[in-house]
Amino acid sequence: MSYKVKINIFEGPFDLLVYLIENAKMSIYDISVSEITTQYLHYIEEMKKTDVLMASEFMVLAATLIDIKSKMLLPRMVPDGDSGDYEDPRTALVQKLLEYKKFKGASEMLTAREEETLRVFEKPKEDLSPFVSEPDELLKLDINQFIRAFNDFIVKKRKVDEIRRNYERDEHHRITTETRIELITEMMSRENDKTFSFYELIPDRASRYDTALSFVSILEMMKQRKIEARQKSLYGDITVRATQYLLTGLTEPEAQQEEPVYD
Amino acid sequence: MTSKKSIKSAFESMMFIWGEPLSAKLAGEVFNIDAKEAYEYLKELQQEYDQEGRGIRIREVNKSFQYVTEGSNSEYIERLCTPMKHRRLTQSALEVLAIVAYKQPVTRGEIEAIRGIKCDRVLEGLQKRELIEEVGRSTGIGRPILYGTTDAFLKYFGFSTLRELPEIEDIEAAIEYDEAKDPLDLQQIALEFPGDFQSSDE
Repeated sequence: MSYKVKINIFEGPFDLLVYLIENAKMSIYDISVSEITTQYLHYIEEMKKTDVLMASEFMVLAATLIDIKSKMLLPRMVPDGDSGDYEDPRTALVQKLLEYKKFKGASEMLTAREEETLRVFEKPKEDLSPFVSEPDELLKLDINQFIRAFNDFIVKKRKVDEIRRNYERDEHHRITTETRIELITEMMSRENDKTFSFYELIPDRASRYDTALSFVSILEMMKQRKIEARQKSLYGDITVRATQYLLTGLTEPEAQQEEPVYD
Repeated sequence: MTSKKSIKSAFESMMFIWGEPLSAKLAGEVFNIDAKEAYEYLKELQQEYDQEGRGIRIREVNKSFQYVTEGSNSEYIERLCTPMKHRRLTQSALEVLAIVAYKQPVTRGEIEAIRGIKCDRVLEGLQKRELIEEVGRSTGIGRPILYGTTDAFLKYFGFSTLRELPEIEDIEAAIEYDEAKDPLDLQQIALEFPGDFQSSDE
């Protein structure tokens, strides 16, 4: 028995199996499982050799074929009386193959139609702007839709205005970490030994920006070992205390080398 | 009231300008006639062009109509100018499309069960080319996405409606007939397999 498989790529395991069955001129209803399994496995070996990326589904079908083959080898145990009830182990596979062949046929029909329609050309839509005198006329909105759209616009504009106002105000009073650190240093130098609460280090107008700025400043100062900070419980207050470095004005040599992270 | 003749004449002009398939409904609205009447007129026009063997034909895509060239003239068009490169669909894409077309709405799982191989990338590609679309979700476990074909699908394969799809049993019969070695028929349904099977998957 010799055969050569020439086509390299199959669309899937069923595609390959249908090809092998048809090539061997077998009836799909009466597959010689042992022969087909041998061919199928041989093909898979070839695929591995030629380094074709093989989908795992091919292996699944190989396993199914071997399973069917082994079932066919077993003696058929027919219970006395009902001889007609023996189920061919190939049935499920044959059903699947027939279903697949059906759609394979449909896809060939589509291929033929594709070939035909590719010869037919259409023209893309024209630029219709010269035919439209008043583009606004295309706005076929009823009055309620229009009111809703207008209200949405007003609300949106108000929001944007508000955001813009806030944004500009912050721009004017923008305080940097440096100035904040200076402020904290000054506060702490005034009262040498005091342990500060984090909230005390935020100036009066405690906006979110101010809070964040103080927090970042404290982190920076901790890094420079100018202060020690403690937080006793999660979300609790942070207590801050000046260290000798802050009080003496000296900086730790290693801290000095580090580049400032914030500006 | 505008005469039928002048309405049909106007429809021709409108289709010429519109390029894309012009829906019978929209065309009818121009004359205050209902979509059904407009559809009939457009159908008549289509027949007239066919009967006279014109070089411009009218193609129907899901109750919309557009001017296209007559297929047999493609050679001459190609001599005049080189039209856009055809990007043919791959075999796997066509298989998946066939399943979606005949079994829609259908889930990915059902398609994969028939083909015996994964199809996620093919489905993605077909969606990108707008030949299929999500049409909802199945009530099954995991509520998988259901796929169906689009108007672009109809256009691509030259169908007016989905009802024009041949019965799948007829196809089978035709193929079996083919295999009975009728050389004439074999030529008609002969498939060209370009050397490169994976020409346009993505």
